[in-house]
Amino acid sequence: MKATLAALIVGLLVAPLPAVAHHAFAAEFDSKKTVIVKGTVDKVEWTNPHIWIYVDMKDEGGTVTRWQCEGGSPNTLTRQGWSRESLKPGQQVSIEGFRAKNGSNTCNSRVVTTADGKRLFAGSSFGQ
Amino acid sequence: MRICSWKSIIATAALATVLASVSASGQNIPRLADGKPDFNGIWDRPRILDITRDSNACGSGAPTKGCVQKGSGELSYTAWGREQWSGPRFDYAARCLPWGYTRAMQTAYPIEIMQTPKRLAFLFESNNVFHVVPTDGRKLPENQDPSWLGYSVGRYEGDTLVIETTGFNGKTWIDTAEHPSSEQLRVTERLRLIDADHVEQVVTWTDPKTYTKPIQNTRVWSRMKAGEELMEWWCMENNKDLLEGHLVDTHKTGNEQ
Repeated sequence: MKATLAALIVGLLVAPLPAVAHHAFAAEFDSKKTVIVKGTVDKVEWTNPHIWIYVDMKDEGGTVTRWQCEGGSPNTLTRQGWSRESLKPGQQVSIEGFRAKNGSNTCNSRVVTTADGKRLFAGSSFGQ
Repeated sequence: MRICSWKSIIATAALATVLASVSASGQNIPRLADGKPDFNGIWDRPRILDITRDSNACGSGAPTKGCVQKGSGELSYTAWGREQWSGPRFDYAARCLPWGYTRAMQTAYPIEIMQTPKRLAFLFESNNVFHVVPTDGRKLPENQDPSWLGYSVGRYEGDTLVIETTGFNGKTWIDTAEHPSSEQLRVTERLRLIDADHVEQVVTWTDPKTYTKPIQNTRVWSRMKAGEELMEWWCMENNKDLLEGHLVDTHKTGNEQ
């Protein structure tokens, strides 16, 4: 019973709930341009209206590119059970997201996965 | 389209279930000392990006159950309204200007109601703004200065609180899907406690400059569990979307929001 309850709680935490946008998704991101940002977390800004995750992604030649990915609001994420300490600088992370329309290294994070396979801050404002 | 239909069926069924389970409403609802229904509390509501659509998920992120939104279906525009709807525009809310009254009511973030016999206030977590509704019998003021949230008065019809709001500035959208409104907008809300933990909100928008007929949504709000409080929420705190120029003009973009 406990295991079932734990599974249910985990299920709730990783359910694809929307990141809460304070504007239309299409005003910033392109739902047709997906991206996977893999690298080392430099910092997490746990701020409204959205959290931002900064990731240094190294290519095969060793060149490092800085990416920034938007997540939900601290309020919604806190109520889902996350905290400002759920993801810390130095952690390896893989973010599946949608690219910004302006071509910068900016994304709206859909799925955030840490090196041990844990999914964090699930959700995107797309399609909600 | 098929998905929309299923969502519609689910939302209708959910609404019917909630309403049927409390058909003898009024029996067990909390009341103020003067006998009026007591709406005090923190309420989770369905997040509504598009008033034409259904939804039955509470928006706050907390595991609250029981929120329902029954959308209006397709809207009928005037020529002026259609022009507003189809033209390119920039979302004022991304600049952290106020949502406008009904869009504020539709965010994912909870609201608190503070109610006394002669006044009621909505406290919105989103942007940490408030809206006061006098319920002391006064009439809506005439010659209102145009405003983002409008001017409201409330009256009780039995156990239903009826709130009329006018005096809008025409700058706000009805929802995040960008449905326009004009300064002729009038919003009528009918709130009633279905039971101690659920409020039914029936919203009617009348805006003859923009729409050829009134628009209606029926919703159910769900009380958040004890211990939940409203939180800080500042749009401009780290508004990188705007400050770094990620945003572009939008117009109707199909299913994208």
